[in-house]
Amino acid sequence: MLSLQHISKYYQVGGNKNFVINDISLDVDEGEFVSIMGPSGSGKSTLLNIIGMLDDPSTGYHYFVDQPVHQMKEKQRSALYKQYIGFVFQAYHLIDELTVYENIETPLIYQDVKGSERKAMVADMLDRFNIVGKKDLFPAQLSGGQQQLVGIARALIAKPKLLLADEPTGNLNSKQGEEIMELFRKLNKEDGVTIIQVTHSEKNAEYGSRIINLLDGRVESSKKF
Amino acid sequence: MIKNYLKTAWRNLLQNKATSFISIAGLAVGICCFLLLATYLINELRYDRFHQKADRIVRIIQNHKSPDYNEVNTIAVTPTAPVPVFKQQLTDVEDGVRIIDYSDMRPAIVQFGDKLFKEKNVLMADGSFFKIFSFKFISGDAGSALGNSSSIVITASTATKYFGADNPIGKILKVDGTNNMMVTGVVEDVAEYSQIKFDMVGSYAMMPRSLIRKWDSANDYSYLLLKPSADRVATERKINTYLDSLYKNDLAAGEKIWYNLEPLTSIHLYSTAGGLEPSGNIKYVYILGIVAVILLVLACVNFLNLVTARSAERSKEIGVRKVMGAQRKQLFFQFITEAGIITLVSLIAGVVFASFCFPAFSDFSGQALNFNTWNITWLVTAILGLFFIVTLLAGTYPSLYLSAFKPVVILKTKSTGAAGGNTLRKSLVVFQFIVSVFFIISTLIAGNQLKYMQNLNTGMDRSQVMVLDIGGMPFNNLEPFKNAIAQNPGITGATASYNSPVNVRGGYSINSADGKNSDFNLPVTAAPIERNFIKTMGMTLVAGRDLDLGDEQQVRKDSLRQYSFILNETAIAAMGWKPEQAIGKHIGLNGRTGTIKAVAKDFNFSSLHQKIEPLVIFPEYDWFGKLLVKTNGKNTAATIAVMEAQWHKFYPNSPFEYHFLDHEFEEMFKTDQRTGSILQAFTLVTIFISCLGLFGLAVFSTRQRVKEIGIRKVLGANVMSIVGLISSDFLKLVLIAVIISSPLAWYAMSAWLQDFAYRIDISWWVFLLAGGMAILIAFVTVGYQSFKAALSNPVKSLRSE
Repeated sequence: MLSLQHISKYYQVGGNKNFVINDISLDVDEGEFVSIMGPSGSGKSTLLNIIGMLDDPSTGYHYFVDQPVHQMKEKQRSALYKQYIGFVFQAYHLIDELTVYENIETPLIYQDVKGSERKAMVADMLDRFNIVGKKDLFPAQLSGGQQQLVGIARALIAKPKLLLADEPTGNLNSKQGEEIMELFRKLNKEDGVTIIQVTHSEKNAEYGSRIINLLDGRVESSKKF
Repeated sequence: MIKNYLKTAWRNLLQNKATSFISIAGLAVGICCFLLLATYLINELRYDRFHQKADRIVRIIQNHKSPDYNEVNTIAVTPTAPVPVFKQQLTDVEDGVRIIDYSDMRPAIVQFGDKLFKEKNVLMADGSFFKIFSFKFISGDAGSALGNSSSIVITASTATKYFGADNPIGKILKVDGTNNMMVTGVVEDVAEYSQIKFDMVGSYAMMPRSLIRKWDSANDYSYLLLKPSADRVATERKINTYLDSLYKNDLAAGEKIWYNLEPLTSIHLYSTAGGLEPSGNIKYVYILGIVAVILLVLACVNFLNLVTARSAERSKEIGVRKVMGAQRKQLFFQFITEAGIITLVSLIAGVVFASFCFPAFSDFSGQALNFNTWNITWLVTAILGLFFIVTLLAGTYPSLYLSAFKPVVILKTKSTGAAGGNTLRKSLVVFQFIVSVFFIISTLIAGNQLKYMQNLNTGMDRSQVMVLDIGGMPFNNLEPFKNAIAQNPGITGATASYNSPVNVRGGYSINSADGKNSDFNLPVTAAPIERNFIKTMGMTLVAGRDLDLGDEQQVRKDSLRQYSFILNETAIAAMGWKPEQAIGKHIGLNGRTGTIKAVAKDFNFSSLHQKIEPLVIFPEYDWFGKLLVKTNGKNTAATIAVMEAQWHKFYPNSPFEYHFLDHEFEEMFKTDQRTGSILQAFTLVTIFISCLGLFGLAVFSTRQRVKEIGIRKVLGANVMSIVGLISSDFLKLVLIAVIISSPLAWYAMSAWLQDFAYRIDISWWVFLLAGGMAILIAFVTVGYQSFKAALSNPVKSLRSE
């Protein structure tokens, strides 16, 4: 479903190119659960952002569901992205001014889903995540684990094929983190959602079906289970 | 979708109470001022336009150029002949009306039964008055109301004053004791925005002057109604051709008399000839219009500044929304909606403020102003227009700016993605302060000029002088009345004169003089006075001696009167003499002959906008309009009581009224004072708005630099150095504003001062003071934020996550 060919990302510093991503090629099939690991500054998040089309590579070819992303205009990319990708962040990034319900609903609004349909979909999602009772609360009134749950619910509401998670458990304690990872596994196994996560934790990485280790912008090792 | 926008916008508004308040307060004040000023301007522009035939009505003004004086003398009055003659002889003229300002020349004491009032606004006009002008009749008929020589039309409130609830039609009013006039019509009270204001209009035919058609002695305000087909300029040309042949044999070589026709609707704002009421000034209309727009822009700039300054806080939301699939267009509309909501709230607040401010503003501007001044369609259009303009003006840039954020930049780093836009924000603050400093300087200069005019040594001692209107007092009672009140120790002198000495208006000419040609003619202002006038008014003579009993006796004779004239320095110079040479020279003044007895030091006898012109004063005991009573200022109430008692003895059936000469003098530059106070008010408003903007920027900037401040503190910076660091950034901006603003203000105020013949020099300290004030105000605004930042604990700001 995803194919990166010789992707590089660099910044011009003086006369030198400072590589963040250095010639990475990577293929991800539908249904995979990939964990990306590596020390700080190894380019994990940048790679994830490029996959998520939030960032442009400097060079290289990027195919997503067999379409050449590197040739697309902003608008097409945005349409593709809206249809297929959901994002989960370390810092949750919920909108403080919106309630749980409204936060989950927002992506549907941007996809022009009708009001009645939205209602059904959000209700369904609240039910599935057991947060019906919290739907009228604001993010500030929730614990970190609950906020991340809402963040995941929001990422999944539009039924994405690919879920991108940037250190989803980084701000959580170990028990909360475990719950989130269990949820990811279930989504991957039962719903067939392809997941790519960036993580620092060996333990969380092992939930995946493949672990990719990055170092200084290159793939150092890659192993499948 | 729009619901979602509105919801977010509303919650945002509530959550950030401080910034919301600043934005809304700034905008509301801006909108309020804009509405007030717009109302004032509308009132100025609708002046006299309520007459249905307004576009066809013109006023005749008369110009006179004498070969011996290089300025043209323009007056808004004509002799009695032009209106009837032009009506008969010129096909372009449909109708015409002569108006006499009756109460300006006489006390106009009107009596009905036991009710007795001194009326201040009585006109006498030809029967065509109500056919030409559209005053609304409550009862009576516009066509025939002034048909009879004893008819009089009164306004509704005048009717109530005399007759209460009774029907006024057919009632007889006794005017000045002798004339019985019958009320034939009642009109609605005359609007403030009419140059012709009256409480009563009597028939012109009641005056003896109506019987004679004269081409000299101009006293009538003459208005013509032109035919729809007529061209004003062409008619004017025809009139002047007529005048040329008429005066052909009467004028000296080089002398010229011609008329101009002023369109009724442009008189109030453009005419310099004076008239039934002092004119407004188109310049002020422009200035206030510009001020209105600037205030609105300032408020919008404020809003714009605050929104972009808050972008750091909004950036996360923007990033998240983009990641969730929002397009730039959608975000743009979200932010425009937010701007719209703030504008709407501000607009409502502004309209409410304005309606509360109208009474005070009406006092301020001397016009009855409120939302009724607007026509309702205009008002709705204006408010809708304001809504869209302010929303777009204030909302477009921030919306474009915010919606362009790149999500990856925002979400990755915890700090702001909003490093850009700083220059813009700074420029906007500079702009705001340019305007503020400009206003501060202008207000200071205008204040100085006004103070200068009030304190100017005008060459006479106005203090503690009371003015009594004695035009209608039997002339023979004047002397006994003066003697009676002179008994009072509080009164140090009393002298009668034709006009008030601060407003001498008599138009005369010196038409013979020793050593001049026989056709010599110098237009002068002149007024009869009593012989103790110079002494009582504290004036100075530069040559000759003051008038004495002998001079008085000379002019009290019934025939062969020999006048003793006093000329001012300007008149002597215009004659081409030196003061000492002039003494004893023979001159003739409109048929009066005599010698120059003294030369008076120039004193201001009319508005300070005008230079002192040639003036002649001379004793003549025929009629006096004003009695000037000099008091010692102690126990004024008792003095007034004594005067009032004597007044009723010598002048029964007339209410006792007085005013102070000082007050009358100040009345003459009331328009300027009004401008001064309007300027003052708006200076406060601009300072307020600018400070809001600066405050917002300071909040933002200290927040942005919290890390830097933390690091500096860890490195050992003390509180003062950090306060200095932050404040100096802003003070630099204000300093730039002062530097840009000063020459602009200097230029504008120099132009304003050109209007005054007596004006101050703009001194450098004004700029220094204004700059100092601006910097001080800015420092107070920013200081609090700086201290707060400087006192904060660096451990907090440096904690990484």
